[in-house]
Amino acid sequence: MTATFKGYPRPNGTFGIRNHVMIVAIDECCEGIARNISKEIEGSVVVTNHYTCMYGGNEEMIDTIIHTGINPNIAGVLVIAMGCGSIDPELVAGPVRAEGLPAHTLTVIKNKGTIETIKDGIELAKQLKAHADGIERVDAPVSALRIGIKCGGSDTSSGLASNPSVGAASDKLIDLGATTMAGELLELLGCEDILKARSVSPEVGDKIERLIAEDLKRWHVIEGTETMSIGNSVGGLTTIDEKSQGAMHKTGSRPIQDCLRISHIHREKPTTPGFYLTETTMLCGGSAMHFASLGAQLILWTAGAAGFNNSIVPVIRVSGNSSLITADMDINACGIMDATDTIDNVSNKIVERVFAVANGDKTNLEGVGYAYASLYQKDQRLEHVIGICPQ
Amino acid sequence: MKAIKLASNDNVATLLGDVEKHEVVEIISADNEVIAEIKALQKITFGNKIALCDIANGEQILKAGHSIGKSITEIPLGQLVHVQNVRSERLDIPEAIIEEIIKQMGIEK
Repeated sequence: MTATFKGYPRPNGTFGIRNHVMIVAIDECCEGIARNISKEIEGSVVVTNHYTCMYGGNEEMIDTIIHTGINPNIAGVLVIAMGCGSIDPELVAGPVRAEGLPAHTLTVIKNKGTIETIKDGIELAKQLKAHADGIERVDAPVSALRIGIKCGGSDTSSGLASNPSVGAASDKLIDLGATTMAGELLELLGCEDILKARSVSPEVGDKIERLIAEDLKRWHVIEGTETMSIGNSVGGLTTIDEKSQGAMHKTGSRPIQDCLRISHIHREKPTTPGFYLTETTMLCGGSAMHFASLGAQLILWTAGAAGFNNSIVPVIRVSGNSSLITADMDINACGIMDATDTIDNVSNKIVERVFAVANGDKTNLEGVGYAYASLYQKDQRLEHVIGICPQ
Repeated sequence: MKAIKLASNDNVATLLGDVEKHEVVEIISADNEVIAEIKALQKITFGNKIALCDIANGEQILKAGHSIGKSITEIPLGQLVHVQNVRSERLDIPEAIIEEIIKQMGIEK
């Protein structure tokens, strides 16, 4: 197995597997302007703040945009602001520039309005695209590869086929020197003892337990919120422990280096290769942007049902449900379900696919039907009310 | 019909299809080798679990190498291992919901 991949070198020492120009609409009112500019620039991606145009309360979301701007798959950033809100486009452009990437800003009300801003924006984005096109792929070490792992629409086949296969692939990728990350802490409820035993230190174990407990508090504000449906149990899941362990199988078995926090004051990133838990949301669209902000260049997604696609971080889809095997699906794990294939064999196919996609092969859905780049953030007012105020 | 035993110390295997009462189930390892044949003591549907040995009351149910809960009664070899004879050690399903699951699945108690 190759221990390198061909990546786009970035000034901060990271390597992208894609080479996008990112256009940010820092408030929702300039979303159309960003889209109009993007239409003219091949391979550009739009990220829009769809919350409000005020900074207060949106710090975590803006931080996700900043860190997505320095994702290795991004070559340069253009930030558009309407100019009447309180979010200075330099809040994003400054930190991106500090990483050595080109970043421009345009403020509509200072730039003679929408029509002129679209014209100027296209010019600036063309400059960024020309810069991106001048970057060639070079040999990059596997230690520069960060992969997000997510499940969605889980069913019986997820726990038996796709999740264990992705978990085994994660172990193999880590053994080659890569970094993998999973999130969805709420869905690990009941796995705390297993995860603590896998942690590199008691401190990391305690952090995992604390952050899972916080997520339970956050999502169970209303008493008696269900954690399992009758459908889950009819499908064969007996306890919440079993359901959570099915989700946990996608995380493999390697030591857990840390549980990385994502909040208005934390954006913890991997520091050494290996496996990490993170506060990446269980909500699919938002999870892709969380992984992007943590520097992931691609995502492995185990599909019980249909799901999401992301324009910045390519998504490799794995399913063991034969009714979902369509042209969309990258890896077919159904053979595990009828005992004609093994987890080990499917995990080898996943690792091969990871390297092929890292080297430039498109995923089955790349460039097709992208999901909206959702920017999930914790509601600061709720966090305050339920007493989760990270120090 | 086959059922997969995911880890070597497991005391349950997961059905890869539906079986009727008294039907013989081939137990396979994660490498797809047939390691045992067990007669199902009741109807067991796809994705549900069959006991691979006699399990005492209060014993941990091991699937994929980890405990998914504890038995609340003796579970004989070949029995369906599910909500009627296992409880979580973390957070139980409400009894009324368990009754509904048993009814919907037609589980023999």
